[in-house]
Amino acid sequence: MKIQFNHREPVYLQVIRYFKEEIARGNLEPGQEIPSRRELANQLKINPNTAQRAYKEMEEEGLIFTAGNMPSRITRDEMVLKRVREELLMEAVQNFIASIRAIDVSLDEALRLVEQNFYGKEGEHND
Amino acid sequence: MIEVKNVTKRYGRKKVLNGVTFTARKGEITCLIGVNGVGKTTILKAIMNLLPIDSGEILVNGERPDKHLYDKVSYTPDMLIVPPNLRIGEAMEFMADFYASWNQERAEEILTFFRLNRDDRISELSKGNRAKVNLLLGLALDIDYVLMDEPFSGIDIFTREEIANVFTSHLVEDRGVLITTHEINDIEHLIDRVIILDEGVIIKQFDTEQVREQEGKSVIDVMREVYNR
Repeated sequence: MKIQFNHREPVYLQVIRYFKEEIARGNLEPGQEIPSRRELANQLKINPNTAQRAYKEMEEEGLIFTAGNMPSRITRDEMVLKRVREELLMEAVQNFIASIRAIDVSLDEALRLVEQNFYGKEGEHND
Repeated sequence: MIEVKNVTKRYGRKKVLNGVTFTARKGEITCLIGVNGVGKTTILKAIMNLLPIDSGEILVNGERPDKHLYDKVSYTPDMLIVPPNLRIGEAMEFMADFYASWNQERAEEILTFFRLNRDDRISELSKGNRAKVNLLLGLALDIDYVLMDEPFSGIDIFTREEIANVFTSHLVEDRGVLITTHEINDIEHLIDRVIILDEGVIIKQFDTEQVREQEGKSVIDVMREVYNR
C-alpha cells in the first residue's frame, strides 16, 4: 500500500480516494478485511489521527464497516460499490473536460482523439 | 494537556521567549518549528522546569510543575542523556534505577523496533543509532507527554524514516508528543499541529489537515509565507 501524497490536500481525503480507487480496480474486494487504523498509519507513514479520520468518514459513507471489535471490512453493498465507481468515473470525466476546455478543443475533436488513442498505439491497454 | 501561557524568558537583555502561548494535547503530535534562534529548546526546558521563566505560566494536566512532573513528561534533549561509555543494556538499567515510570517491556520492544543491540557500547554507535538510543530511553517511560528536541537533526534519511515510523506506531500510543525541528520535509504527514516560532515570538499556529483543507496550503507553504514576510 503506497500513496504519493500531495502536500496541499488533506491527507484523509487522499486516503479515502486511494481506497475508492482500489475498490474500483478490484484490488480491494467486497467484504475484504482492511488494516487497522494503526497499521494503516504505519504503512502509509501518516499521523494515526488522520488514519482514524479517514476510516470514520469511510464508515459514514458506508464504504467500510466494523462489527464490534472485529477488523474493519470493505462493504458488500453493491449499490455503494457501484456508486464509488461512478463517482471516480465522473471525476475523471470532469477533469478531462476541464483540461480540454482550457485549451479550447471542440467536443468532436476531443472524442475523435479519445477513440484513436484509447487502446494505445500498439493496441495496448492504456490506463 | 500542556499549557504554555504567555511565557517570557530573557537571557541577559535578550528576550528569547516573548509572550509565548500554546497548548500540546495528548494523542497529538505537536511540532515546534523555528528556523532562527534558540527559543525552541528553551520552551522544552521551561516545560521540564529545568530553567526559570521570567513571567507567564506552564501547566501540565492543569497543574504547575511539582515533584510529579517527571511522572508525566519525559524530555529527550539533542544530546545523550546517559554516560556514553555504557552499553545500551546498561543505559537501560541506569534509567530503570532512576525512573519509577520505566517500562522494561516497552524498552525491549523499542530495542527490537530500532534493531539495536543491547551489548553495543553507546560511544561506538553511529550518530543515527545514538539518536535512536536517546529516543528509546525517553519513549520507554510510562508518561503522558514526550518532549523531543530535534529528533531528526543531523542524521541520515534512512534513520530519519525509522524514527518517523515510531510516531505512527503503537509505541507512542495516545501520548502527547511535542517535538522541535527546523526542517519539516519528511514529517509533514506525521504531525497534527504546527507552532511556528521566530525570534522568540509565535508567528502562527495551526492544524496541518485544516490548513490543507481550508487554504490548500502545505506546511512548507505556510512556513515560506511566515519567513518571507
